[in-house]
Amino acid sequence: MSKVNLQKGNVFLIDLTKCTGCRGCMVACKQWNQLKAEETDFFSGEGYQNPRDTSEHTFTLIKFREYEKNGQVEFSFYKEMCMHCDDPACVSVCPVNAFVKTPEGPVIYESDRCIGCRFCMIGCPFNMAKYEWSKKLPLVKKCDGCYSRVKEGLEPACVTACPTAIEYGPHAEMLKLAQQRLKEYPDRYIDKIYGKDEAGGTGVFYLTSEPFEGLGFETVTKRALPSYTWPALSLVPGIFLTMGAGLTAMTWITQRREHMEKEKNAKLDKQNSTESKEEQI
Amino acid sequence: MTNHWNDIQHSDVIMCIGSNPAENHPISFKYINKAIDKGAKLLSVDPRFTRTSSKANYYAQLRAGTDIPFIGGMINYLLENDLIHKEYVVNYTNAAFLINEDFDFNDGIFSGFNAETFSYEKDTWTYQFDSDGKVLRDDSLKDPRCVYQLMKKHYSRYTPEKVCEITGTDKKDYMAVVETFCSTGRPDKAATIMYAMGTTQHTYGTQNVRVYAMLQLLLGNVGIAGGGINALRGECNVQGSTDYAILYHILPGYLAVPTYANTNLEEYLTRWTPTKTDTQSANWWGNTPKYMVSLLKAYWGDVATKENDFCYDYLPKRSGNYSYIKLMERMQRGEFEGLVNMGTNPIVGGADSGAIGKGLDKLKWMVSVDLWETETSVFWRRPGADPKTIDTEVFLLPAASSVEKEGSISNSGRWAQWRYKAINPPGHAESDAFILDQWVKKLKELYAKDGVYPGPITDLDWNYGDGHEPDIDMVARECNGQFTKDVVIKGKSYKKGEQVPSFAFLQADGSTTSGNWLYCNSYTEKGNMMKRRGLEDPSGMENYHNWAWCWPVNRRILYNRASVDLNGKPWNPKKPVIAWNKISRKWEGDIPDGGWPPMNEEGTKSPFIMLPEGFARLFAAGLADGPFPEHYEPMESPVGNAMTGQQCNPAVMAPENLDNSDKYPYVGTTYRVTEHWQAGAMTRNLPWLVELVPDMFVEISPKLAKKKGLKNGDMATITTARGTIEARTLVSARLKPMVISGKTIEHVGMPWHWGFNGLSTGASANTLTAAVGCANTTIPEFKAFLCDIKKGGSQS
Repeated sequence: MSKVNLQKGNVFLIDLTKCTGCRGCMVACKQWNQLKAEETDFFSGEGYQNPRDTSEHTFTLIKFREYEKNGQVEFSFYKEMCMHCDDPACVSVCPVNAFVKTPEGPVIYESDRCIGCRFCMIGCPFNMAKYEWSKKLPLVKKCDGCYSRVKEGLEPACVTACPTAIEYGPHAEMLKLAQQRLKEYPDRYIDKIYGKDEAGGTGVFYLTSEPFEGLGFETVTKRALPSYTWPALSLVPGIFLTMGAGLTAMTWITQRREHMEKEKNAKLDKQNSTESKEEQI
Repeated sequence: MTNHWNDIQHSDVIMCIGSNPAENHPISFKYINKAIDKGAKLLSVDPRFTRTSSKANYYAQLRAGTDIPFIGGMINYLLENDLIHKEYVVNYTNAAFLINEDFDFNDGIFSGFNAETFSYEKDTWTYQFDSDGKVLRDDSLKDPRCVYQLMKKHYSRYTPEKVCEITGTDKKDYMAVVETFCSTGRPDKAATIMYAMGTTQHTYGTQNVRVYAMLQLLLGNVGIAGGGINALRGECNVQGSTDYAILYHILPGYLAVPTYANTNLEEYLTRWTPTKTDTQSANWWGNTPKYMVSLLKAYWGDVATKENDFCYDYLPKRSGNYSYIKLMERMQRGEFEGLVNMGTNPIVGGADSGAIGKGLDKLKWMVSVDLWETETSVFWRRPGADPKTIDTEVFLLPAASSVEKEGSISNSGRWAQWRYKAINPPGHAESDAFILDQWVKKLKELYAKDGVYPGPITDLDWNYGDGHEPDIDMVARECNGQFTKDVVIKGKSYKKGEQVPSFAFLQADGSTTSGNWLYCNSYTEKGNMMKRRGLEDPSGMENYHNWAWCWPVNRRILYNRASVDLNGKPWNPKKPVIAWNKISRKWEGDIPDGGWPPMNEEGTKSPFIMLPEGFARLFAAGLADGPFPEHYEPMESPVGNAMTGQQCNPAVMAPENLDNSDKYPYVGTTYRVTEHWQAGAMTRNLPWLVELVPDMFVEISPKLAKKKGLKNGDMATITTARGTIEARTLVSARLKPMVISGKTIEHVGMPWHWGFNGLSTGASANTLTAAVGCANTTIPEFKAFLCDIKKGGSQS
């Protein structure tokens, strides 16, 4: 298996002109992350698309597009996933530092810190942080760039499953490779690397033959989003601090309560099993 | 495949016809993309605009079942514009051979047809010989009786206008494909054809493959890097299964199954060993006696002796057609007591599957060996069946999956690769080898007790260790073969029990065994070649000779002696397969198709070594339905044959349940999707795959949808003369209506993965298909039939 360079921030280079829409990436993602299959009915988008959107159960999704161009039907595929921004909005808006941009590249999420405030969901310009609507005590879920694999030197699951379209490596190398392709095949691509400048630069680069907007890509500002939030927030430091402290306290209380509950349940379970054993005897 | 997966990257033009590699062979696209990056053009020819079409430079829509006119028109274009690779064609094919004066073709029928038996007497489909028995030829290709001229005349009828009238292809799209593909007749260009079941599953499926082969031969594209005829096998080891005789008419290594007429070994060998018809022919099948005797020795060991014809009498003899369709028909007539299904699900995968269900009802017992509870294994629960009236006793044996057992698989490129066991099978599941071993041992015990003619079973040389299951290493050794006594061959001595180094060392005197001559060289004294994982690539052509092993004798590209000119110089020195080194007087590169010197030297042999003449056949007398592929309509078709008065393949007898009336106006066709697998048991039970494609669906054009009042997702009912099914409607502009002879033709496309059992259930498309097969192989015509579609269903 290919080894990942742990010293440098790694980037996904996704060449949509090479993607065949086989969806091996989606299945590999669910397998590695042990995500539940969604209950789908027929198809929920163009072509064979399923499910409709990314969610707590679906971190990456191939979106199908069927359209006409010059009287000819076209069939395109676009892989949606967390963009692993260089300066992520989710990191900056999170009051309890549940999100971390790792030096290896992935933006990870530490659920034990999360208080469920959902600022990240509002903050993410790509709408990739998803809420666990199915749970009573919901947390946030998203692609973590297979951090558990990457930190061991393994490529992300979707990269290993993809037969054609995804490369993974240090930022500079991927950028060079993308630029080389644009130069070498000017007729094949739109002269743009999506993700290079979007939201101040991301950890996912896309190359495509079709205008990005038409495929369902978000049009986002090129400035890093935290550069908008911090000046605004700095005007109200007191409020922020108070709120931050308050939320942290709430987390502590919630978590403690959960912990106690768990211990209590464990005790009960133990008692029950002892009782049932006695009954058997 | 004549070539192999990695080699696709060397193509300049890739034509996917009758195949959909992006969806059904996704990994192959890695190599297609490599070729595209080097400037190759991708062509997609398909009734539907598929995920493959979305990546193509040119897409041409054709009506299902019209490959022969599509390619026949390309042959005509090549010959009319003289774009063939002439040196190749004259020297390596039978283009210059003169054909029997009495050979004729008239209104869709070749000479020698017998309408009563649906077959041809082939005595006029022959070459002309001089008094010394040498084939008469005209290297100028001008003689009106030479193959080239007869072929030119035959395909002159396939003009672009005529072709597009039949295929329904837009002429501009057609010409783009034709011109791009036919640009590769130059020595420095290569084109490949990737085909699959869209090609073969027709009543003239073999002729579809033949017409591709002719096109490739005329362009000089066979034997070269990035060329060839490449069958994309539908399952990771289906190549292995045919190599090892899963079909009724062949023994391992494609040796013929004896027929009733072959009453003893001598008669068998006389009948099936061809004699060369040209002095320069290697006539490789001339070695049949060595391979057959070595196989008999592998079967019956020491009991097989020269005196008892090496136990030839123990082999069953066949007296007819035992193909899948015929077996299913016989089952429906109640002619079988029992049936064993190993990794097969006929009630979903077989043609006219409703009738197969009724056949299963008549069995006394049935065994299913599978990973899952397939539809066939619970056939009495199928919709419409009454379990009270069915007496069949059914056994379901849980099987180990591919990662739960050790052994070899042979991929489409003929590479035999060893796989290791990763985990133990769950519960009581066992490997196929274990199950077969138990059966054989029990049979031996029963036959020894009171068997009628017990010899074939009790004498079977069946010794694969004392483990829980047969020692798979011993099986692999036996497939390769061993010496049965100390011998000296070609000046080298070999000890009894040693592995035979390659099939060139096999003998007809009983001194060698070989379970499959094609695999002789796969397990030598150096070890199990299939386990090799060497990444050396000295030629830079990515043939990886030290990675696993491929048949024959690790030759990566078949017919590679045709990749060089008469001096042994590669046609394209930038992409050499082999090259003759004048100083060492040896071939360099891939393992050559025989080590003889180049064609302009003494002691040479012609490149097409498997044929008695040594020349590739543009005119092929061996087929049941004609020496040149000719257009016929599918057994069910909405149009008349625009080429001749012969509507369907005359060498195929039509079953009763066909209906060509206006009752069924649409062309039905079946296919697979990436997300599901064959009859579906392995994928319809996996939630992650069911999430992606949860329901049986039917694809139709927006125009047909509007006409029928169907909207995306609506339930529709599809009917043929065989049966009725329901499916969700997928309305897609990717399926365009076509106009043929002023008539609008619509396709109704359906995947065939579904059945009534498992996590995701749905109707089986094969309820609709007809049990009528190819004249040569009897593969069913799954890909073109007539149907009707209506809005609504019982569930809607």
